[in-house]
Amino acid sequence: MDTPILMPNLGNEIDEAQIDEWFKTEGDMVTEGEQIVLITTPKVTMEIEAPATGILKKILVPADELAAVGTTLGIIET
Amino acid sequence: MPKEIHIDPKTFKVRSALNAPPIPIHAYDENIEAERARYGDEGLLQILRDMMIIREFETILASLKAKGAYCGIEFNYKGPAHLSIGQEAAAVGAAASLEPHDHIFGSHRSHGEFIAKGLSAIRKLPDDAMRLIMESHERGALLRTVETSLQGPKGIETAENFLLLGLLAEIFMRSTGFNRGMGGSMHAFFPPFGTYPNNAIVGASAGIATGAALRKKLAGASGITVANAGDGSTGCGPVWEAMNFAAMAQFDTLWADAFKGGLPVLFFFNNNFYAMGGQTIGETMGWDRLSRIGLAVNQQAIHAETVDGTNPLAVADAVARKRELLVQGRGPALLDVECYRSSGHSTTDINSYRTKDEMQAWEQHDPIILFSNRLQEAGIVTAGQVAELREQTTDRMRSITAIAVDPALTPPVDIHADPTLIGKLMFSNTNIELPSQEVSLLKPVDAVSRVRQDAKKSRYGFAEDGAKLSPMRAITLRDALFETVLHHMTHDDSLVAYGEECREWGGAFGVYRGLAEILPHDRLFNSPISEAAIVATAVGFALEGGRALVELMYGDFLGRAGDEVFNQMAKWQSMSGGQLKVPVVLRCSIGSKYGAQHSQDWTALCAHIPGLKVVYPATPYDAKGLLASALSGNDPVVFFESQRLYDTVEQFRNEGVPTGYYQLPIGEPDCKRAGEDVTILTVGPSLYSALAAAEELESTFGISAEVIDARSLVPFNYEPVLASIRKTGRIVLVSEASERGSFLMTLAANITRFGYETLHAAPRVIGSPNWIVPGAEMESTYFPQKDDILDVITSELFPGQRSNRRSIRDWDDRELARLGL
Repeated sequence: MDTPILMPNLGNEIDEAQIDEWFKTEGDMVTEGEQIVLITTPKVTMEIEAPATGILKKILVPADELAAVGTTLGIIET
Repeated sequence: MPKEIHIDPKTFKVRSALNAPPIPIHAYDENIEAERARYGDEGLLQILRDMMIIREFETILASLKAKGAYCGIEFNYKGPAHLSIGQEAAAVGAAASLEPHDHIFGSHRSHGEFIAKGLSAIRKLPDDAMRLIMESHERGALLRTVETSLQGPKGIETAENFLLLGLLAEIFMRSTGFNRGMGGSMHAFFPPFGTYPNNAIVGASAGIATGAALRKKLAGASGITVANAGDGSTGCGPVWEAMNFAAMAQFDTLWADAFKGGLPVLFFFNNNFYAMGGQTIGETMGWDRLSRIGLAVNQQAIHAETVDGTNPLAVADAVARKRELLVQGRGPALLDVECYRSSGHSTTDINSYRTKDEMQAWEQHDPIILFSNRLQEAGIVTAGQVAELREQTTDRMRSITAIAVDPALTPPVDIHADPTLIGKLMFSNTNIELPSQEVSLLKPVDAVSRVRQDAKKSRYGFAEDGAKLSPMRAITLRDALFETVLHHMTHDDSLVAYGEECREWGGAFGVYRGLAEILPHDRLFNSPISEAAIVATAVGFALEGGRALVELMYGDFLGRAGDEVFNQMAKWQSMSGGQLKVPVVLRCSIGSKYGAQHSQDWTALCAHIPGLKVVYPATPYDAKGLLASALSGNDPVVFFESQRLYDTVEQFRNEGVPTGYYQLPIGEPDCKRAGEDVTILTVGPSLYSALAAAEELESTFGISAEVIDARSLVPFNYEPVLASIRKTGRIVLVSEASERGSFLMTLAANITRFGYETLHAAPRVIGSPNWIVPGAEMESTYFPQKDDILDVITSELFPGQRSNRRSIRDWDDRELARLGL
């Protein structure tokens, strides 16, 4: 089953954020709750945790790109 | 920046008990022979003499206040006289163990400390340095008076007379006084002798001396600072904030080796048992001995001790031991110096709060009598010599008083000759040149991810197709502030930045995000939630020669730092007669969405207090340039920022926000939209409501509005606004401050006066109503909106428009005023 990694809702007035760094590469094992990607909003830098345990099958938004709230950033295959 | 201190639950679940070190009470073991060896007989006599000088000096004031004369010299002294008669041993004992480069900060009862420290410095400073100091003060005017009018041997005696006459002249608020007559009895000081501001606000020196100690530490300067205060000040929150600030654990846990250890500040409490009329022991405080409060501060109980303040040698011994700890980086320290004020709190005090018995019992402990007896018992001096010394002191004071009261020799401040003389002292209007060299950093600026991200952003807020860019794609007001802070922090190592959450968090609103990656803790640190200490230490840091950028997370927290902003930051430049500078920039964000205690615009409070420059930019370009001016200027600035505007991109300047460093002058309103029929002058985020209103006025009503952004409140150049109303004849002023007492009311009144002949209608102020800021969903009913502005302009200024009202503000302002609203 595929579990999407979503850009979370980061506050009332924030529509998009930047992907700073993926801590994993495609094919890596990830554990639910593990920090997997670093993002920056206009105000803060924060890590997003893996929503499931499995293999990082696909990175859809690479580092340095912007993504809107709700965008699928990557896929974990469980 | 990773978190460095781990909070392990296991550690905090262990049953145990806290241990506290014992607090020594009267640890001093008197041995007169050892003291003779240490000071020499001449040195011990000097201590007696210094106490007598202080006693007689204060007797001048007591006598002038009570009888209008001293030793036959008549003078009507109108100012205050908070005397320390009975407390001289504390002042002289402390000064004996201080060096000229140790800096004391005092209270409203500090004549004794001033004189004692001055006399000590005079004896310790080299002759040529002393001469230069005297020749520099008021271009030698005071020195010439001393040399021509006071007979006697030259050398040290001249310097002492310079000290005593300079102080008395200052107490009389004369032009040759140490503060050019701008300080007076409660605020006299003279930095060349290491006497820094004496403060009429109880306990206020605690935070200022702490900030000065921080500067000494960071600048690698030698010496310590001393916060002189009374026992009553232990009831003041800012004193506790200062003690904690000085003892923050981070100095040891997080700061680099060169800066380890608590701050070199000695909290010196002249404990005379009375906080004016309330008794600290047994009545107004919980402590039994003042030194007990040290236990609340840190594991070392900040080396607190209770000392016999009637014995100068006991005080000198304690101060010498504490000073040693402080210079080793083991500060701060606290001394509870018990002494008794035999004079009243002031000259109108009839001692109704204490008994004759008690006063008589303490007469036996008068420090001058005790010490004189001690010296006589040791065979150092005879009773006759003591009497002679007393007589000489009185003679000298009589001569000094005669000169001080003589307007020809000690001229009054001539306000009539220059009516704005005091006004000219409020701001220095000077600035520093930023060094072009970068200071050393933890890593290169380009390695900061934020810097790299921002470099990719557009400098202008609109795309080529006219679409507005998101704050992730264009430089925002937040980024613009960051760029100026980054530039100053990386080019000026005398500048320190701190406040709550300033480091890893980057400030609660992310303005400093990324700075912690390149700046060590001694440049940027998290402060405790101590607004009073944040501002007071910044003032002390600046008075000691540094520059401070501090922030109060919300402007609403100004109340927590009220004295520090309104009495300290604002006033020391002018109260020093222009001799001191206070380069402090205080950032305050104004909230939104958070309701009554986190969203109010208090700019008017700051603009009301003389001595503060007040800035409130609304665009990224203005924010970047105005903060640069604030940080390079030498005057205190309160810099307001709207949280609603942090994500605002540049919308006015087609070239965008320059990438390089630039300054914009503080005090110049800026036209953001040209128009012909009506002027809208805005402060802060109201700019954007006004612009929206202007667009609709144009399209729907054919009314052309000119929009001017005030950008600064103090100073304020009226000319651009007056030029605009000469064209339009009408003006609406808009800000988010509550209308009653808003700074817009001052602007409106002055615009009416300066531009009366060109106005077709009275200026109209639109602010927030005089009630609390409501929650997020109700804010549009509170802060002036586009429709509120449209209604006023179409119905009041252009009644021919006959438009329907749109906003909810259909209320009767006079009726609301009658109801207190």
